Amino acid sequence: MRWGVPSFVPSRPALLAAEFAAAILLALPQAVGGALPCDVPDELMQVDDKLPHLAERLRAGQPVRIVAIGGASTTGLAAGSSDLAYPHRLQEILARWYPSSSITVVNRGVPRQTAQQMLERFPTDVIPEDPVLVIWETGTTDAVRGVGVDDFAASLQSGIDELKAHGIDIMLVDMQFSHSTATVIDFEQYLNALHRVGDVNDLNVFPRFEMMRYWSEQNVFNFDGVAKDERAGLAAKVYECIAGKLAEAIRVALR
Amino acid sequence: MPTSSRDLRLDFFRGLALIFIFIDHIPENLFGYFTIQAVQLFDAAEIFIFISGYTAALVYGRILATQGPLFGAARILGRAWQLYVAHVFLFVLFTAEVSYTVATFNNPMYNDEMGVADFLEQPHVAIVKALLLEFQPTFLAILPLYIILLVVFPPVLLGLQLRPMLMLFPSCLLYVVVQITNLSVPAYPEGQVWFFNPLAWQFLFILGATLGLPRRRDWRPRQRTVLPLALIIVATGFVIKFSWIIHGIWDPFPALLLKELWPISKGNLSPIRLISFFAMVAVVAALVPSGAAFLRSPVARPIVLCGQQSLEIFCLGILLSALGHFVLSEYDSAIGIQVLVNLAGILAMCLTARMLDWYKTMGRMPVPHSAANRSGPGNPLGS
Repeated sequence: MRWGVPSFVPSRPALLAAEFAAAILLALPQAVGGALPCDVPDELMQVDDKLPHLAERLRAGQPVRIVAIGGASTTGLAAGSSDLAYPHRLQEILARWYPSSSITVVNRGVPRQTAQQMLERFPTDVIPEDPVLVIWETGTTDAVRGVGVDDFAASLQSGIDELKAHGIDIMLVDMQFSHSTATVIDFEQYLNALHRVGDVNDLNVFPRFEMMRYWSEQNVFNFDGVAKDERAGLAAKVYECIAGKLAEAIRVALR
Repeated sequence: MPTSSRDLRLDFFRGLALIFIFIDHIPENLFGYFTIQAVQLFDAAEIFIFISGYTAALVYGRILATQGPLFGAARILGRAWQLYVAHVFLFVLFTAEVSYTVATFNNPMYNDEMGVADFLEQPHVAIVKALLLEFQPTFLAILPLYIILLVVFPPVLLGLQLRPMLMLFPSCLLYVVVQITNLSVPAYPEGQVWFFNPLAWQFLFILGATLGLPRRRDWRPRQRTVLPLALIIVATGFVIKFSWIIHGIWDPFPALLLKELWPISKGNLSPIRLISFFAMVAVVAALVPSGAAFLRSPVARPIVLCGQQSLEIFCLGILLSALGHFVLSEYDSAIGIQVLVNLAGILAMCLTARMLDWYKTMGRMPVPHSAANRSGPGNPLGS
């Protein structure tokens, strides 16, 4: 069930052009000390749809609960601690930006679950938290196990319907990119399905896969040749970048 | 054994389906925009299973009639065994590739997510499950379906020859039950189901077999009533699917009926897929006569050969897809490289089919000086 390039993700040629331009720009200040090189092409930061319930809470200065449900990359084990995972980082950034609301991001990551298994956790792990926004990171396990793409899409749809029925805003997050896994696992059709579900339901899909591919191609984050004890630190940096970009996307969607 | 009575359309379209399967299994492949799934609501899997059912009835129906049901059944099961061995061989190659990649992998961010470890963590369980056809890694799902369909085929074929409705009715009933209740066949790991639900796909295979029964070989749709309807369905399918593809490339273009129709279940062979597929069959059967000159042209010849050597070419295509995927993601996915990878793969498939054809034809040639040693009719359609 191929679908070409998802709408939120710019086409490869466009990206390649952007990368080329970025490569020229990056060639000069390679050694910008300290700051994280999280930049991505503008095409990856196009946010079209709104988060009305979250916006309302923030405007009124009311407390905000966000649930991040997902897999291993939500738990953040690779970085060593859940404080270094993207949900906690996101909470810190949002708390800085919206000081009048108390903001909590609840981490509901469980490694190696399909979208269907995550959906089955909604009644216990998500709904009782009374979130105003759910960030649903999914697709990896479905692609690895080769779950039927249409079953994957149907699970996503059920989850979205359930969250919408509770008046919860939704943001979808797609898979992580890694060079070596991309050579053995076919993520494309699951990426397409995820983005298409977002499209059909007017939801924002955070294009983590394309962002990480961009960083990988730019050699911003490269795990090859990194000593074992330094890998966790590098993973933490990637999570921090993801959280930063996610926070920016949320800010744009609130406008 | 390409004789003049042979319906080359079966070989040609099965060959085409095998080439489409090769192309569609390479992710992010530009050529994917030019296969059947880009313009219709079904894909090459339907073509493959339908023609497999059709040729199975044609070939084994003939053997059943001339050499008796016992030998016919033995031939069918022998073929299923051949497919099983091929499947296990493919499984081993794939597992080798994936295990190697995962084991040499030093990126902590994905270690927890790489459930291929399902295999690496419990190889003793996974390998048994694979032998039981319950563990079907991506791309390795269609052969298990084909194997199961062949294993139950002897009684089905006998029933079809006795009276087609005897088999068609329960088959259709089972299909309808699957559509309503979502009944599926469990697989490994826990919670998984067979990618191609055999309880649904059996209907397509048996429909193909019904049409392929030897005495019904001259079946043609009643053109006046069926053809216009089929053309409308095919045209509608084209417009809908093509609008989705364009929408995927260029967002402002509307994706017609996307919210209403999508996702269309492939695993359960959604009626939408089945109907649009049979509309296409009717159109092709009407527009392409079995004696069409182009089927014998040198251009069509390599594709016809691929269709005739379907099992070997299918397996090769799956391996070449994996290799192509690897090359494109490991080295370069520029358009030029993509074209090269696709063309090289298709060329490899066609050359292999040509070689197999030569090898098998030579093997069937009567050996001089010992006329008694003449080999039998072989496997005429290589189904």
